[in-house]
Amino acid sequence: MRYLSINKEEWDVALERLLSSYTVFATISNGYGLDYEVVTAGNIRDISYDRPKPATPLKTFFLPVRENVTSGKHAERQRIILGIPNCDIKGLGILDEIYLDKDYTDISYRERRETTLLISSDCFDMEKNCHCSSYGIKPYSEDGADLAVIQIDDHIILRVITPKGEEFSSQLTMLKPAENGEILNEIEKYHKAVESLLSSANKALPDFETTGKLVSAAGGKIWEKYSSHCVSCGACTTICPTCSCFLLIDRPGFEKIKQMDACQYPGFERTAGGGDSLFELSERFRNRYLCKYVWKSRKFRSTACTGCGRCIEACLGKISKNELFTELTHASQQ
Amino acid sequence: MQVNNNIYAPLKARLTEVIEESPLIKTLVLIPEEKFSFNTGQFIELSVDGIGEAPFTPSSSPLVSDRLEVTIMKTGYVTGYMHELKPGAIMGIRGPYGRGYPVESFYGKEVLILGGGCGLAPIRSLLYALENISDKLERVVLCYGSKTPSDCIYKPLFTRLNNTPKFEAHRTVDKADEEWGGNVGVVTTLLEKVKINLRKSLAVVCGPPVMMKFGTLKLVEMGYPDDLIYLSMEKNMSCGLGKCGHCMMGKFFVCKDGPVFTYNEIKDQPDIWN
Ligand SMILES: Cc1cc2nc3c(=O)[nH]c(=O)nc-3n(C[C@H](O)[C@H](O)[C@H](O)COP(=O)(O)OP(=O)(O)OC[C@H]3O[C@@H](n4cnc5c(N)ncnc54)[C@H](O)[C@@H]3O)c2cc1C
Ligand code: SF4
Ligand code: SF4
Ligand code: FES
Repeated sequence: MRYLSINKEEWDVALERLLSSYTVFATISNGYGLDYEVVTAGNIRDISYDRPKPATPLKTFFLPVRENVTSGKHAERQRIILGIPNCDIKGLGILDEIYLDKDYTDISYRERRETTLLISSDCFDMEKNCHCSSYGIKPYSEDGADLAVIQIDDHIILRVITPKGEEFSSQLTMLKPAENGEILNEIEKYHKAVESLLSSANKALPDFETTGKLVSAAGGKIWEKYSSHCVSCGACTTICPTCSCFLLIDRPGFEKIKQMDACQYPGFERTAGGGDSLFELSERFRNRYLCKYVWKSRKFRSTACTGCGRCIEACLGKISKNELFTELTHASQQ
Repeated sequence: MQVNNNIYAPLKARLTEVIEESPLIKTLVLIPEEKFSFNTGQFIELSVDGIGEAPFTPSSSPLVSDRLEVTIMKTGYVTGYMHELKPGAIMGIRGPYGRGYPVESFYGKEVLILGGGCGLAPIRSLLYALENISDKLERVVLCYGSKTPSDCIYKPLFTRLNNTPKFEAHRTVDKADEEWGGNVGVVTTLLEKVKINLRKSLAVVCGPPVMMKFGTLKLVEMGYPDDLIYLSMEKNMSCGLGKCGHCMMGKFFVCKDGPVFTYNEIKDQPDIWN
């Protein structure tokens, strides 16, 4: 990994030049918070660096809500996504394992992955429900993304992570090696500060492995209690960067539409004759937890929960998984 | 088999014959556009154009690749449309998917097959495969149960098997009619009547969930080791590719890691009999 630096004014100019060959998405604040916007010459200066966390999970760039997967129409323009928090970069791992599986590769997913440059940005602050570090994820990228971008005053620092990131940065002529040790020290200071913010905010939260054990052992009562406010809207799975279940829908001409689906919707596991192991709301609710913290972690190398906290923010029933885990922890200590 | 390198695109197949097995069960005979081979126990996703897709285990011989038979019970939306189709219709096939029966590991053994209901369809394909390697097997015993005598499909199959060296087939019904002279009772009652050399035996169970559950528990009680009981699991499926998540059973995607599992592999997973 190496660091490059560029003056912020020059960076903005370079970025504007890239717009002719790339579609660029970047995190920009709107009235409500942070989200990805299409970058134009007019909003380059509004791009926000080092702030967590865009409302939209990264997965939506690779798994559209609804897509015709037999029409053979892909080859979008080369894309740059800028300002991705590291939790979302880590969330891409499990999607890659599923969709780039050697036995059955999803070609639309692969094309989108190949034509997209991932530029992460370090989080120098946390949002209310962020808990990445409880699950061993750092609030800055050192692998997974192609590059990371950091703003320190009027400097932009690039951390070059992959060969693809290296190749990209070689196109930007104004970049200089970041020899200024002071800047790197300052970045490290920010990292330490945000890590300590995260750990003190989530002191009561069990780590990933303990969570898995607690979830496995938890009896029906707690699931009934927490699911009593659940309305099966599926917001938690829709907003989750690692949930990627879908349904294939048939269209005339043997076309298949792939539509995002969720285990929280009734009927997800219904079989012929009416059998349905997830018929009860509390069973569906519990399924999401077992899937994330127990089953997928046995099946895949990558994590199925990044600790982004979006499911807590999105829940119509104001259900917090972290309150549930804290309660399970307390109960287990009694 | 992948069409245009696209895992979601079906291969076309022409329906050439519809065989009425029982009021609720039909066998569709299909001629695929290209040769289509599968291992016994693997399944396909069969689609009715513009309507929908559902998983089925072919009931024909895995040794034939230019013709495919699928035996379908009418249970709902998609299977309802399938039962309306007439010869000449074009259908879609994706697959074959999943892990079938490891028949090579059956060499030198007695194979006990416990089947029920429409579970006889996949078993027929297994029987074809076993007939083909019968010189390497000790014996094959089929125990099959249906609700009533008329619910039983492929009746001539039983006569044929009972006339094939090393093969024997037994039937039972839950409810007899006037003409029925055979065994009455659930399929596990047949197990008390057949002679089995446990040391050399392995078992295959395929049928509705209740039958799978009680059949398996009975086999365990009889002394079959958990890793010699093969189960063909049925879950809701959409993609068949280990992606859509519908068929998850604990840490397994039944479509890709199964549908055939040993009891040993899945006994600790949740909801296996659901
Ligand atoms: C590996 C495997 C092999 C099989 N082999 C055979 C075989 O050889 N022969 C055979 O006859 N059958 C077989 N089956 C079963 C067969 O796939 C089902 O009978 C078939 O899928 C039923 O489809 P349907 O649309 O007619 O039934 P329906 O009951 O109408 O629908 C079942 C599907 O539609 C969805 N659905 C329907 N209604 C609702 C609702 N109200 N809410 C939400 N979702 C709903 C369900 O999620 C489900 O996917 C097999 C199944 C599997 C998994
Ligand atoms: S389960 Fe919640 S916290 Fe975990 S990755 Fe999904 S949305 Fe984020
Ligand atoms: S977001 Fe909340 S209310 Fe909606 S399905 Fe998830 S847990 Fe239930
Ligand atoms: S049917 Fe889609 S993952 Fe198994």
